Amino acid sequence: MSNATILSGTDLSKSYGALEVVKNVSLSIGAGEFVCLVGKSGCGKTTLLSLLSGLEKPTSGKVMLDGKEITDASEDELALFRRENVGFIFQSFNLIPTLSAWENVALPLFPIKMPGEERERRAMELLDKMELGHRTDHLPSALSGGEKQRVAIARALINKPKVLFADEPTGNLDSSTGDAIMEILNRLHADEGVAILMVTHEVELAKTAERLVRMHDGEVIS
Amino acid sequence: MNWHYLVNELYYQRRRTVASIIGLSIGIALLIILNSLSLAYRQAAHAPLREIGADVTVQRSGDVPENLAGVVFPCSAVTIRDEEVKKIESYPGVRGTGKALLLWVFDPNRAWIVLGIEEKNSIGPAVLRSSVTEGRFLEDGKTEALVEAAYARQFNIKTGDSISLANRQFPVVGLIDASRAAKIAIANVYVPLTVAQDLAASSSQVQSVSPFARQDVNLLFIKADQERITEMASSIKTLMGKGAAVATPDSFLKLLGSLFALSDKFTFAASLVAIIVAVLIAFKTMAGNIAERAREIGVLKAVGWTNRNVVMQLLAESVIQCFIAGIVGLVIAIIASYGLSFMKVSIPIPWEMSPTPHFLPGGGDQIFKILRLPVYVPWKLALFGIALSIIIGGMTGALLGRHVSHIKPSEVLRHE
Repeated sequence: MSNATILSGTDLSKSYGALEVVKNVSLSIGAGEFVCLVGKSGCGKTTLLSLLSGLEKPTSGKVMLDGKEITDASEDELALFRRENVGFIFQSFNLIPTLSAWENVALPLFPIKMPGEERERRAMELLDKMELGHRTDHLPSALSGGEKQRVAIARALINKPKVLFADEPTGNLDSSTGDAIMEILNRLHADEGVAILMVTHEVELAKTAERLVRMHDGEVIS
Repeated sequence: MNWHYLVNELYYQRRRTVASIIGLSIGIALLIILNSLSLAYRQAAHAPLREIGADVTVQRSGDVPENLAGVVFPCSAVTIRDEEVKKIESYPGVRGTGKALLLWVFDPNRAWIVLGIEEKNSIGPAVLRSSVTEGRFLEDGKTEALVEAAYARQFNIKTGDSISLANRQFPVVGLIDASRAAKIAIANVYVPLTVAQDLAASSSQVQSVSPFARQDVNLLFIKADQERITEMASSIKTLMGKGAAVATPDSFLKLLGSLFALSDKFTFAASLVAIIVAVLIAFKTMAGNIAERAREIGVLKAVGWTNRNVVMQLLAESVIQCFIAGIVGLVIAIIASYGLSFMKVSIPIPWEMSPTPHFLPGGGDQIFKILRLPVYVPWKLALFGIALSIIIGGMTGALLGRHVSHIKPSEVLRHE
């Protein structure tokens, strides 16, 4: 399934004061590739994901996405880059509590000038795909953990991303709901060819990925 | 900026919304009430003079006559020379004048307070024309008199009777109930100004204390441009020298004794405190709001909202909240003003403006003008309150922008 490189980080380091969290890491992901980043808690997985997704700037090194370097982009340029190229799935869902399911899905489109009906249509379509067509008007507080994560996945897909970043996406779910979410991610990868970089500390989950990258103490070890 | 998101945020986060609206609305209400109250005292201070169609009265105090017999001047109102009147009429801001002559007439068996008034003038005691209860008003140049209704009842004087003042007979052409209409420039008997001037000019008691020509007066009423009253009063005092007594709305305001009446500075300071409190409340609420929503803001940034997108959204929320707070504050202020408008205020009339000799019964009593405090919220003040609340909402946005730009999505979104 792997094709040309869609995302690459070269010699990435990140320090917070004297603490070096990511140490000279290089990592590439091919278009449509499913890569799992595993390692113990605190080993720098999430920081590396933040660097590669443009949520954070590296202390040194560079990040290229779809042939464009994003390392020196301003904060607003990075925001636009994220809006157009990547999607995020978080462990704790991070839905906006005052917006309904479909509005949460459409959230990345709110700043874009487009007809409201089009925005709603796209959100509804994705919720249908996530089998949440009957929950579109519910607030997050009325959804189960699995439903919340499916809404979050739909939100991550609304802008047709090239890369999906998932940070412990099943961490707050029971095992059967977690399996269901993994099934959705695998389906997305298989059917739609979305590249996925997933961070997890559960090696069993990581086995479903095409490639496993292990981290220890801020370094990629295999 | 997304309206739906904004409305949902305000609606579903009711506790937060209500807390910030209440805090700010109290500040705005306080500001409007303080200024309405101050304005009401200012308007009340105009009442004693407005009753006689004037903005300023001018008198001159002088010596006490040696003998209280015949026609005399009260020591608080001696001659204002005609050329002084003409000079005052030429001052900038003077829109018109009214003249009167107050006399005490001590006859062997009765003391009269006599006021010589112009027959036709919308400024000064001539406005008492509307207070005639029986008979008719005075006619130009005729030797005739109007008698105060209560005084007439006390001494059984009727329209058509004749009264003797300083050995001159005056037919009573009517009764007047002036004391209800005004607290200053009232008397027992009203005669035409020219007749009163004759009485004064021919009185040796008057001439011995304060030389008086037939065109002179001892009470002057001025209608003036509001913004020039202070400057004009100062010029009049300079012109008339020692003994000049110039009454203005400001001088009545000082007599009210209220903190609001005493000083513009107090109202300004209190308003400033109210505004600062309102701004601090808005800032504190918004800062709390940002802290509480840091994660949400991180999500917005992570999914592609720029700083500007986030700031515009939060700014709109802040402005709408503050606008609602302004409306609520205005409503509170209107209700409070209505309640305060039932308050009564007593304006003391200075002794020199009281026409009754202090040695006569009731003469030493303090006279008050009692009226309901005219508290209301002027539309300009209402608009100012609303505009201020919107500005406060906007200002919080500026602070907001700095906070928002410091929120890093990677930091706030790290899983617990």
